[in-house]
Amino acid sequence: MTFLERDPLAPQAWFGNLPAAHRYTYGLAGERFFRALKDEGKILGSYCPKCDRTYVPATAFCERCLGELTDWRDMGLVGELHTFTVLYVDVEGRPLETPQIVGLVSFGDGGIVHFLHADPESLVIGMPMRAVLKPPHERQGSILDIQYFEPFQA
Amino acid sequence: MRKVAVIGAGMTRFVRRALETPKELSWEAARMALESCELTMDDIDAVCFGTAPDAFDGVHMNGEYASDGAGGWRKPFMRSYVGGGTGIFVPIQGWYHVASGMFDVVLVVAEEKMSSYYPHAQAAFLTIFDHTTERPLGPNLLWIFALEMNRYMSTYGLKKEDIARVAVLHKRNAAAHPCALLGDANITVEDVLNSEVLAWPVQRLDVSPVSDGAVAIVLAAEHVAKRLTDKPVWIEGVGWHLDTAYWTNRDLVYPRYVEYAARMAYEMAGIKEPRKEIHIAEPYDPFDYKALHHLEGLQLAPRGRAIELYLDGTAERDGDLPICPSGGLLGVGNPIAAAGLMKIAELFWQLRGEAGERQVPGNPRRGVAQAWGDLMQVGTVVVMGR
Ligand SMILES: [Zn+2]
Repeated sequence: MTFLERDPLAPQAWFGNLPAAHRYTYGLAGERFFRALKDEGKILGSYCPKCDRTYVPATAFCERCLGELTDWRDMGLVGELHTFTVLYVDVEGRPLETPQIVGLVSFGDGGIVHFLHADPESLVIGMPMRAVLKPPHERQGSILDIQYFEPFQA
Repeated sequence: MRKVAVIGAGMTRFVRRALETPKELSWEAARMALESCELTMDDIDAVCFGTAPDAFDGVHMNGEYASDGAGGWRKPFMRSYVGGGTGIFVPIQGWYHVASGMFDVVLVVAEEKMSSYYPHAQAAFLTIFDHTTERPLGPNLLWIFALEMNRYMSTYGLKKEDIARVAVLHKRNAAAHPCALLGDANITVEDVLNSEVLAWPVQRLDVSPVSDGAVAIVLAAEHVAKRLTDKPVWIEGVGWHLDTAYWTNRDLVYPRYVEYAARMAYEMAGIKEPRKEIHIAEPYDPFDYKALHHLEGLQLAPRGRAIELYLDGTAERDGDLPICPSGGLLGVGNPIAAAGLMKIAELFWQLRGEAGERQVPGNPRRGVAQAWGDLMQVGTVVVMGR
């Protein structure tokens, strides 16, 4: 059974669409975060001294006190595996040839959702995971400049 | 019901394309509003947030998405959305949060980032029309407004060069607004009449510009407001009202949706003769003829005669009934939800005597702000006084 299974008794319908294309600015924080990822291969966080929280990806302000965040920090490329899932079907419900792993890797008080390259059997929540970046000349200032995370052994 | 005061306000510049994200625009306005009354998020009991179609910002559930910038973290938070009417509805929502006795201090934020929609925000409106009867024609909002403007002009024999006076006054007023996008102290009726025809009789300078921006205010219950400020500005009356969902079935010449919303607000405020008891009006002016329409709905001019307020100088900043001393949407800009709340912020500054170069003389005591939206059928009205 797929998400797209049809009901032969459904009423007549006609098709329309909601066309939508967007051009998003990176924003105050995004400009800096993605430039550092692209140019320096760094994952940056921003720290609120009042609330003692580190936001990753870095934000321009603290959501708790609305203070401006000026203390930006290099978080390194190794975070902690917070949780993960193994995908067996695509968005339309069709089986995937190779199951895909998606994980949340925490950094500071936030984290990054990304693909994981690993044997699912080997993954343990809490283990260190390292970001594998594209080569510098291929980076575009996108979250996909990180190709995936993989288990890390120090 | 408890008395509710506006005690602080802040706004970003209105620009064509902001670097800031919707979250960041909201944050800038919220922080300015808090700083203006020396409060922190610890003092805020609840947050009301307004943003118009998700399509503009390009984030579905944009209200919830941008909530961190508006201070929504771990607060009772509610987003309201009545299209163009949102900017005047979200302070109404804030008002009943406080008037009801549920919360003492409420932060109200309105944000819009229209530049995200590509190639132009007008396309976001293609899908508000009926998918079987209208959308196959590929309609856009300019059609509707041009059809309505023509009907309004024809019914009362109004001239394009007279209606252009509205755009001229508002854009000139906006020249004194530090956040304005289209202020122009020297604009003339000829400039408006010579601008590009978009959909006759609507020309480029008859229309407010697509913009990005955010505005925030702080509302407080009477006992808190009196402790925090010597100059509270009270919300004296609120009203909102919906007309038919079919724009084809609506009176295109006279906005009933504004009249009924205004009557509700005036009754609450104890106003019997609006033209005498209102000292400043901020009617919703996305198009110049729409300001006239709305002034008539607000009972500030007889039907078909709002134009006289502009022709005889009554509407000017030092006139008997200054209209859009802020510069309005036509001059300051039209980031949908933020544009409406900008009018509330303007009344707050004007009634406190803090409007700087834009200050209306004579210590105005009472003002009305209005917006209009949804599928062109909602009216939202707030009366403020000191
Ligand atoms: Zn903080």
